[in-house]
Amino acid sequence: MEVEDTGRTIPRRSLLRGAARGASAIITASAFGPTMSHLERRAAAQEATQVRLTGAPSSPEESRLLEQVLQDFEAKFLDITVLWEPVTQQYAEKLQTDLAAGTAADVFYVDSLLSPDLAARGVLLPLDEPMAGAGVRAEDFYAGLIEAFQWQDKTYGLPKDWSSLAMVYDPQAFDGAGIVAPPTTWDELRSVAQALFDATGQAPIILPPDFARFIVFLYQAGGAVIGNDGSVAIDSPETRQALDFYYGLYKDGLAATPADVGAQWPGDAFAKDLGVIVFEGNWMFPFLAASAPDKRFLIAELPAGPAGKVTMGFTVSYSINAKATVPESAWELVNYLTGPEGMARWTDLGLAMPSRPALAEAWIATYPEREPYLAGGAYARPWQLGPGGQAFFQDANAILEAVFAGQTESQDAVTQFAEKAVADIKIT
Amino acid sequence: MASLVATSRRNPIAAEDYLAGWVFVLPALVIFVGFIFGPILYAFWLSFHSWNVVTPEKPFVALDNYRNLVDSDDFRIALRNTIWYSAGVVPAQTATGLILAVLANRKIRGRTFFRTAFYFPSISSSVVISIIFLWLYANNGLINFVLGTLGLPTPRPPWLSNPRGVFQIAFDAFGIHDVSPWLVGPSVALVSIMLMNVWTTTGTMMVIFLAGLQDIPGDVYEAAAVDGATQWRMFRDITLPLLRPVTLFVVTLGLIGTLQVFDQIFVMSEGGPAKTTTTLAWLVYVEGFRKFSMGSASAIAVVLFIITLGLFLVHRRFLGLTGDQ
Repeated sequence: MEVEDTGRTIPRRSLLRGAARGASAIITASAFGPTMSHLERRAAAQEATQVRLTGAPSSPEESRLLEQVLQDFEAKFLDITVLWEPVTQQYAEKLQTDLAAGTAADVFYVDSLLSPDLAARGVLLPLDEPMAGAGVRAEDFYAGLIEAFQWQDKTYGLPKDWSSLAMVYDPQAFDGAGIVAPPTTWDELRSVAQALFDATGQAPIILPPDFARFIVFLYQAGGAVIGNDGSVAIDSPETRQALDFYYGLYKDGLAATPADVGAQWPGDAFAKDLGVIVFEGNWMFPFLAASAPDKRFLIAELPAGPAGKVTMGFTVSYSINAKATVPESAWELVNYLTGPEGMARWTDLGLAMPSRPALAEAWIATYPEREPYLAGGAYARPWQLGPGGQAFFQDANAILEAVFAGQTESQDAVTQFAEKAVADIKIT
Repeated sequence: MASLVATSRRNPIAAEDYLAGWVFVLPALVIFVGFIFGPILYAFWLSFHSWNVVTPEKPFVALDNYRNLVDSDDFRIALRNTIWYSAGVVPAQTATGLILAVLANRKIRGRTFFRTAFYFPSISSSVVISIIFLWLYANNGLINFVLGTLGLPTPRPPWLSNPRGVFQIAFDAFGIHDVSPWLVGPSVALVSIMLMNVWTTTGTMMVIFLAGLQDIPGDVYEAAAVDGATQWRMFRDITLPLLRPVTLFVVTLGLIGTLQVFDQIFVMSEGGPAKTTTTLAWLVYVEGFRKFSMGSASAIAVVLFIITLGLFLVHRRFLGLTGDQ
């Protein structure tokens, strides 16, 4: 009897959220009378809770596919319903204002670059306790991914999936220039680019003045933005070396920017045959399938730099709002979506790779041609620069743009990187 | 209030009108106070506080936000870009607006068509126009195609990706490379957006000038014609002086519009390349929503407000003088 009553009042509560919340609480209370304790009422209210989930799907397709996975979740957890609220534009700005207004969802996407800013300000729920309770260990995820969401020894999000960077190239162009194997080092990359340039007269590499690409070369040269001691370490000969190589490709005509060839971004240029080598992520597969389905392309691991192989781990977490109204249900959702079952279901759709190494084998069986992306898991570094990383990213891009326009010398740029890093990145 | 009481005692209908007046303006007043005046005051208050947007704490920092602006490279760059933008766009849109108005005021065939055609960009959404110009300015866009067909050089990097100053390009031709940041001039990217904005806003200015032209009595021109004045003399000595209040209005409107430029930047360049299209209004957005410092964003907004208010007061003064004459 009582359970049935609860069943009637609770969905009403979830439908008429907000204003009706107080009124329905009275209904619930009066239905059970004074015999029901606060804890019991709370338990009853938990029985059909609604979890609000928001995120920035990269395409309507991603949103639709996520809805399928959410249906599976609801089928498994009958007492939780999920309200999915996709945001297609200006997600970070919207999330910030929602947090400020106290209207942010219970569970939301957090980009790795933004994570420390939010974690340091205490708006994310630390997940260590629920993780321990559910037997989820940080080691279940790639270190280069979960580290992006750790701040001062606490975990503030679990990576929902990920993509590394790899070299995407046009095999026909390689054949035409007599190149038999993709380059594996910086020197080989330069000579391959030279051979391609000689064969066609076109800049083969599409290289953006974008710090999210340059940082790979910086790491490959053995450089760092923040050193091991936690201080800014970008003012180094390694940064200079990486910039000379990166910008050198452009200066010598072996690379062009997307804008130079009239494209939106490197993948767009590649799809339109305006370049034959780009350094992009797993998102190239769904993108090319949609925009250039007949295009032949292959992928290879990024060429290694002087300090060895490095790729970036681009990832987004499911994090829980520190003020979530239903933290237990929110955790169930996060744990399902990032758990072996939910993640396998999600990554099987091919948009991104599983962030759990244990799922890698099954995934690669489905998508064998994407092996180089997965191989990056062993040496991926998190795309994260500490609190203020978002601000530094903006400034660093402006510096790179000035370098590419021939306005700033390499050494001056290195100094400017350091000045901006000191000003923007708040190491507390 | 005293006069209201006095009036109502003498004439109850006047008091009723008075009340009705308030009732009718109430919706607009509520919106104005709640969504315009209130936020302005709040921004002013915030500019003396430090706020990271996501947490509620807003500690008082007195003048720190303003002091930081003095040392801020970004603020200097944005101020310089905004000044270039206004200094370029306002004279250009005023001059073109005036010329178009004079032409559209003649009794020529298809006059209505030209008036509508010139005004059309002003009533289109600035976002839509910005997106169209993104394509026009693309490396493989129409503008480069036309230039290429005519055998003219095209900028590399292309228009909106080119941070090189237009004066710097001229200096480079003479082998002068290191000039002060002011002499570098607005970047090719900023000039591209300025040109678009002139094209978009000229129509509005034309319409205002047209109204002004029609206020000039025809007999003044007739008298001048009897005295044997040429067309040019009539334009210089009758049209321009009599249009002076209108011109001042157009210039002020243009200044306010250009100081606030945001949507075109947001859609076309996001302040780049190399911050050369970062204007004050765009910097407010970046500080507030990308760098988590709403306090300094508010301080910039207040500075922008003071600049705009100062220009408005100058305008009032000029208009007052012309009114006396």
